Amino acid sequence: MDLASKTKPVPKKKPAQGRREKWGKFRKEWDLYLMLVPGLLFLLIFKYTPMYGLIIAFQDFSIFRGIGDSPWVGLKHFEKLLHNDQFYSVLTNTLAISVFKLVFLFPAPILIAVLLNEVRKMMFKRVVQSVIYLPHFISWVIVSGLFINLLSVNGGLVNALIVKLGGQPIAFFMDPGIFRSLLVTTEGWKEVGWGTIVYLAAISSIDPQLYEAAKMDGANKFQQIRYVTLPGMASTIVLMLILRLGNMLEAGTEQILVMYNPVVYNVADVIGTYVYRVGLGASDYSFSTAVGLFESVVAFILIISGNWLCRKYMGRSIW
Amino acid sequence: MAQNMLSRPAGKRGAIKESLGERIFTVCVYILFTLLGIATLFPFLNIIAKSLSSEAAVISGMVTLYPIDFQIGTYQWVLGNKQFLNSFKITVFITVVGTFCSLLMTVLSAYPLSKTYLSGRKSFLLIFIFTMLFNGGLIPTYLLMQKLGLVNTVWSLFVPGMISVFNMLIVKNYFEGLPDSLEESAKLDGASNVRILFSIMLPLSMPVMATIGLFYAVTLWNSYFNALVYVTDPALKPLQLYLKELIASTSEVMKLAGEIDINNDLNKAPEAVQAASIITATVPILCVYPFLQKHFVKGVLVGSVKG
Repeated sequence: MDLASKTKPVPKKKPAQGRREKWGKFRKEWDLYLMLVPGLLFLLIFKYTPMYGLIIAFQDFSIFRGIGDSPWVGLKHFEKLLHNDQFYSVLTNTLAISVFKLVFLFPAPILIAVLLNEVRKMMFKRVVQSVIYLPHFISWVIVSGLFINLLSVNGGLVNALIVKLGGQPIAFFMDPGIFRSLLVTTEGWKEVGWGTIVYLAAISSIDPQLYEAAKMDGANKFQQIRYVTLPGMASTIVLMLILRLGNMLEAGTEQILVMYNPVVYNVADVIGTYVYRVGLGASDYSFSTAVGLFESVVAFILIISGNWLCRKYMGRSIW
Repeated sequence: MAQNMLSRPAGKRGAIKESLGERIFTVCVYILFTLLGIATLFPFLNIIAKSLSSEAAVISGMVTLYPIDFQIGTYQWVLGNKQFLNSFKITVFITVVGTFCSLLMTVLSAYPLSKTYLSGRKSFLLIFIFTMLFNGGLIPTYLLMQKLGLVNTVWSLFVPGMISVFNMLIVKNYFEGLPDSLEESAKLDGASNVRILFSIMLPLSMPVMATIGLFYAVTLWNSYFNALVYVTDPALKPLQLYLKELIASTSEVMKLAGEIDINNDLNKAPEAVQAASIITATVPILCVYPFLQKHFVKGVLVGSVKG
């Protein structure tokens, strides 16, 4: 696709290449292929071999027998999965937390980006950006530490305030009614600011003449937002939404794994944490692999169909 | 209120002369962002204040933004704690070595893939991209690591994530944007592709190298999941895993659950020690943050996200 725009030592219009020509080219550029070797080897070992390892979902895998000698059981583990109440509870949690996060955390960066675009004092804008991007670079362990510190029953500022106002202290991290909101809030605190970066870029690529024209037509700030800024961001918003939908079954495993505890398992246990506990905690390798495979396949289907929709209706592709 | 403003005719110089509604809006935006900034920074400031306060003050919940009964004993304890220092060393090691290896592997993969004339380029790209869309998942990867003998080694902490395909694509896009004439003239002089990459292209790619390098470094510094899965040897625990256990041990949940409190032997308030540990582990991130900030604002990353 870039061939036309770039001049190359190779002929611009490629004639149908004979085998010899290809070989000649390979010999000329052999060191380029050599460079690819480490990367490809890495992928083969650490990414593609585990994909092959997925077949243990169809076996009664035993670590002593290995993949080669473990007995095949067909779809046994998937049937077990379909008749497993715990799996449904985990799936429900995953979807509930995902949807909860989507509803609150997807629009937030869009709103903030639009408002930030209205800030005319560059210094103020830059400081705000620096501050709200910062939590993205803090690990989930630290974030959970910060919030436990803030919300703890003994010594937490929030509970101190609640008590001062005459209320009962709340154990935020142990309350099944609150825990999901806590997940959404902490993820919002960590990622919403960073999320604005894509939208700010989309806004900055809007032609300033559109704003000039809108002003000439007498549009005020709100009308400019409504008729220039938002339409200018639309394709980016759709793209981000599709990417987000592809991640529906990833409700934030790393976050939940540091924040949850047995008291809130029934509302916070998601596929990722379940696989971790059943697979590595209880060493039920085959069953947990089946659960993991279910997640991978659904995610794959979601992202592929999302990309297809994107290409069909917007002429853009994610990759 | 909004309708009221919509009905007002805008002045000829709309940008300068704002309606009352627009001015109120502007003020609200500034207030909103000020509050947002405070909300973002508050948890940090609170924990810094706590780490410098006395035990009694911390437990009473009086500490807000400034230390009460100032002390630095907690930091002395943290910096004298063998397990903390050991974990710190492990984390520094995997961050430095891991970032170097990751950058090298990423550049080596990205450069050939940026050459549109490379035959088979599309297929190679697909091999890379497919791993972003589908993966073997936790258990098969764990079993592989076990088979390779990498479990309970320091390698397990950075090798599995050595190439981020996302980062590789960013570097590839950057290489594609460099002028072709450089490569042509170097080739006329008889330079090999390896030579061209390391003597010509890389020096021109410092902005993207810095960005990607910092991203790898931050990811490695912050990661705990690999350690949680692959490492049981306390001598190999990186900082984040150590902190995770420290936080869990001091939180009231674990006390209720009857887990052993590893800080029982401490005379300090566990909360203050925890706070000091968190700050100490975060300071390095805060030190590189201004550099990160400088680079990603240039839009290197955003360009690729949009691409």
